[in-house]
Amino acid sequence: MSRVKLTDVTKQYDDVTAVDNMNLDLNDGEFICLVGPSGCGKSTTLETIAGLTKPTSGEILIGDREVTNLPPKDRGIAMVFQNIALFPHMDVYDNISFGLRLRSFPQDEMDERVEEAARIVRMEGMLDRMPSEMSGGQRQRVAIARAIVRDPEVFLMDEPLANLDAKLRVNMRTELQRLHKQLDTTIIYVTHNQAEAMTMSDRIAVLNKGELQQIAPPLTCYNQPANRFVAGFIGSPSMNFFDATVGDDTLDANGYSISFDATAIDGVASGDAVDVGIRPEDLYLTTNSAEARDPSATFAVETDVLEPMGDEIFVYLKPILDPDDGGEAADFEERQGLLMSVDPATDIGEDEDVEIVFDRAQIHLFDDRTGDAISHGVVADANVEAVDDGVQAD
Amino acid sequence: MSIDARNHDDAETFDGSGDDTGDDGENKSRVARWADDWIRNPEKAYAVMLVFLGGVLLTTSLFPLYWLFNVAMAPPGQPDIPLVPASIDLSVFVQVFRQVPFARFMFNSLFYAFTVTVFVLLVGSLAGYAFGRLEFRGKTPLLFSLLVLSFFPPATLFIPLFRAFNQQVPMLGLFTLPVEVYGTPAAVVTPLSAFTMPLAIFILTTFYGQIPDGLEDAARVEGTTRIGALFRVIMPLSAPGVATAGILTFITVYTEFFFSYLMTGNSAADWAPVVDGVLAFQTQYTVRYDLQAAASLIAIVPVAILVVIAQDKIISGLTQGALKE
Repeated sequence: MSRVKLTDVTKQYDDVTAVDNMNLDLNDGEFICLVGPSGCGKSTTLETIAGLTKPTSGEILIGDREVTNLPPKDRGIAMVFQNIALFPHMDVYDNISFGLRLRSFPQDEMDERVEEAARIVRMEGMLDRMPSEMSGGQRQRVAIARAIVRDPEVFLMDEPLANLDAKLRVNMRTELQRLHKQLDTTIIYVTHNQAEAMTMSDRIAVLNKGELQQIAPPLTCYNQPANRFVAGFIGSPSMNFFDATVGDDTLDANGYSISFDATAIDGVASGDAVDVGIRPEDLYLTTNSAEARDPSATFAVETDVLEPMGDEIFVYLKPILDPDDGGEAADFEERQGLLMSVDPATDIGEDEDVEIVFDRAQIHLFDDRTGDAISHGVVADANVEAVDDGVQAD
Repeated sequence: MSIDARNHDDAETFDGSGDDTGDDGENKSRVARWADDWIRNPEKAYAVMLVFLGGVLLTTSLFPLYWLFNVAMAPPGQPDIPLVPASIDLSVFVQVFRQVPFARFMFNSLFYAFTVTVFVLLVGSLAGYAFGRLEFRGKTPLLFSLLVLSFFPPATLFIPLFRAFNQQVPMLGLFTLPVEVYGTPAAVVTPLSAFTMPLAIFILTTFYGQIPDGLEDAARVEGTTRIGALFRVIMPLSAPGVATAGILTFITVYTEFFFSYLMTGNSAADWAPVVDGVLAFQTQYTVRYDLQAAASLIAIVPVAILVVIAQDKIISGLTQGALKE
């Protein structure tokens, strides 16, 4: 159990910067997920914490010790790998006790600890199996037992569930959460799967191109994303984005004109170009507009494709081409259209003309150039809320 | 009997008259039937070819051993060696050990082979680890120069090494070997280690390079150093490669003649190798070909045992290496 602190950690490979000036301060006992697309530097960050890779510059603290130049074995960490990495020539007992044997634990204490670890991951009675005789889930549990048996200060997990099938992944996800509750150890968990990050972690650190985008509790990342990247990465299906221009009291975008008071929101002025983001569940059919906290005016669109998911239906919307303004409407369609999520009981078909409203309390504005969030919600009171507790990366 | 009936497959069985045209027809159709059969079942053709080739290979490789046995069985002074020995007298195999300290000669050679193998596997493992698993500047030129070195005929290095080992000349004007190495095991072990090293490094590089990084990372996180991970995880998992490199080295050194003969004295106590043991049955006036042959056969035994024990590993090791690089 320990806090982990990264100060200005940078890792460069020749001319590629894998991790750029990373600052992380993780609390004792916290479950942190590092998420981001492939190649965003999350695994490299984890490797620098593990000591498998030396950072080009910066400092790493585990507990109160500076470990930047210590080899992995002296850092008090344990790690679970994406490819599981059990030693194929050793049975389960030898795999789990590998680290204990290296530290010359007495035999009886070793037996005791291995049994305890095997019990926690529910692998008792399988200690004499070879890794080749076990299923993927069992192997992963052994790998976790190997990590917990040494009672490390910090657990590092590098996409431990990525190689498991979908059902097993969900099971193991629950088991990992249970394990975290039981052990109460700091866990740093790398994944590219934002659903894993959302469900498991105390805080999510979103990375892109080697830079930390935002570190905040899952719901904060979801509701108050620090920038356009986080907004697009967190949440499935992804948030809708479109370009808009700020008018005197409207937000004008390709035929949608959403009324708002530019003076009530800091950081925008009339004439600014902004990116507008809105999640699929914050679009409503006019008939359901009462559900929206702050409905906008009504817009006519045409449904395109439906994706019934069981608990909701995803509806792809395309704007109705306006003969007077055909160019812009076509351009909008080329960009992406809108995705709306509706209740499965809704009576809706493909290629129907429908009318929708935006929930103005849930419209996100991002700076057109930097992508930084300007406002979450385009009504005055919603914005105040966002400024209060939006935890943003520096 | 009609022509149709004669050409029919079954017709021949009943046709006892055997006129000429009938025989020709029968032969043709038999060859044709073989051809047809083999085209339809190529595995039959392969089986026949395999038996034939195997027979040739076995004859060429085993006949010399049989010949050696024949020579050993022939009494001293017998001018011709028959294909089948006139009498079997196994006492020559015992006499070999009585007449000269042949066991010591064999021990010397086995000692060289064992020492060089251990040394080559240790040093070669470190080199194989570096070449197979690390990225560093100049890796390819280094590996290439190793390859070039292994093409040098060892004989070209004999004279300079002989001078250095024997006469304690200053090497490169920098240092002189502290003691005279000539006539000691070091004079054989050192150069032979150098000559067998490149092949071992190549084999080990291939194998060590194939072990997934994750396993080494896991070992390091669990508490080993890089070297510890090499010996605890990478080497055990590369067992076929290590066995192949080890056995090839062992056999090369055990059967090596040039250096081990010239760098040591002629008597068993002077660390002379097994070749000296075989030649010891030759005096100024007599040559006991039967004892030499028997000694040669005995000298083969350790290597034969080693190969039989490790053949699975060698085969998987050689083919695996061949397939992966």
